[in-house]
Amino acid sequence: MRNGAFRISVVVAAACVASVSGQITVPKTAPPQTRAGGSITTKAPSGPTPRKPNGQPDLTGVWLRRAGIVNIEQMLPKGEKLPFLPETLRRMSLLKSQDDPQLKCLPVATPRSEPYPFRIVETPSHIFILMEAVHGYRQVFMDGRKHPTGDDLQLSWQGHSIGHWEGNTLVVDTVGFNDLTWFDNYGHVHSDKMHVVERFTRTDLGHLNASVLVDDPGAYSRPFTLNYTAELMPTAELMEYICDNEQDAPNIDAPADAAIDAAKLLKEQR
Amino acid sequence: MKHRHLRLFGPIALAFQLSSAASAHHSFSAQYDSSKPVEMRGTVTKVEWTNPHARVYIDVRDDTGQIANWNFEMASPNILVRNGWKQNTVKVGDRITVSGYLARKGERMAIAGAVADANGKPIFESNPDIRP
Repeated sequence: MRNGAFRISVVVAAACVASVSGQITVPKTAPPQTRAGGSITTKAPSGPTPRKPNGQPDLTGVWLRRAGIVNIEQMLPKGEKLPFLPETLRRMSLLKSQDDPQLKCLPVATPRSEPYPFRIVETPSHIFILMEAVHGYRQVFMDGRKHPTGDDLQLSWQGHSIGHWEGNTLVVDTVGFNDLTWFDNYGHVHSDKMHVVERFTRTDLGHLNASVLVDDPGAYSRPFTLNYTAELMPTAELMEYICDNEQDAPNIDAPADAAIDAAKLLKEQR
Repeated sequence: MKHRHLRLFGPIALAFQLSSAASAHHSFSAQYDSSKPVEMRGTVTKVEWTNPHARVYIDVRDDTGQIANWNFEMASPNILVRNGWKQNTVKVGDRITVSGYLARKGERMAIAGAVADANGKPIFESNPDIRP
C-alpha cells in the first residue's frame, strides 16, 4: 500500500483498539479518544448484548450503517428487485440528480441512510434517533399511543413513529411521510402512503440488526423488506453537520441513475 | 486546456468512485467525469472546512503563465476527521498536488481523490477501505 496517510490511520486505529479493548463494557464508560468523531477503522466490539434494569436490550449507543446508501436495492434479499408500479417508473424517469432533496441538505428519512453515525437514546416515554447527517432526529413514542388518523395525521419528512418491544426486538411503526424524500442518491422514490415497520435487534454488544418492511401501495406493487446491520462505534460522538456550503446541486445537470433505469424498464414494457 | 501543472493521468477511477460513494452526498457520475482525471500542483488559497463537503482552493499556473483558481471538492469534514485529517492539515500557502476528476458542469471545479504535499508525500488518499 503506497498510501502513507492510510498507513497512519491504521496505526492510530490500532492504538485506539488496543487502548479500549479490555475496557469496553458499555460505550459510555470508555475513555475519551483523540478523535471526537471516533475512528472508522475500529472494529465493532464483541460481547453480550447490554440490557436495561428491566431486562430489555439497551440500544443506546452511536451506530453506523454502511449498507444501501447509494442504492437501496443492495439491502433487498439476493436476487430481488424493487417492485415498482408503472406510475412510479414514469415519475422516476423524469428525475434529475440535482433534484435529490438530500443533495440540497433537506432531511434524510428512513429507510434512507447516509454514511454518518446515528445515536439511539432511550427514555421511558420516547426513543430518539439522533442522526448526524444533516442534523436530523427521529422521535419514537413508546407510551402506547396510536398513530393519529385522518386530518390529524400531519404528513412530515420523518413521519409519525410509535414503538413497542416484542421480546428482544424493538418494533418501530411509522406512517405519515410526505412523498418528498428519496430512498438513496440513486433516485428511488416513494409515495405519502408509505408505511414502514422497522425491527431492531441488538444481537450482541457491537451489532444492531434491522429489518425494514416497506409497504407503499402508492408506489410499489407489494411490500418489500430491506435488511442491514449497524455497527457500534465505540467511544464515538456525533459531530456537527450543518450543511452551509452546498455547491453541488447548482453544478449538476444529469438524469438520476434511477431515471435511466426507469426509462429502460418503461421501454421494455411497451 | 493546457496547464503546466495540470496533466492527465491513468485511470484509477475506482478509488475515486468509492470515495464518492463514501461521501454519498451525490452520484459521482452525475457531477464528475471519470474519463477526465487530472493532477494539479498549486498553492492553497482557501480551505473551507464545511459540510456537505470540505473544499480546497488552489492557484494553478498554466503553460502561458496564467494563474487560475481551482475548487476541489473533498469528503465532508466529519468523514475527513474520522480518517485522521484535521482542519489545518492543509493550510493556506501550502504547495500541494491534488489528483482527481473534472466536474462535468462547474467551471474550474474538480473532485479531489489524492492530495500530496510539496515533496510528493501523500497526505490524503481515497481508499476503499477508508469509510466514514
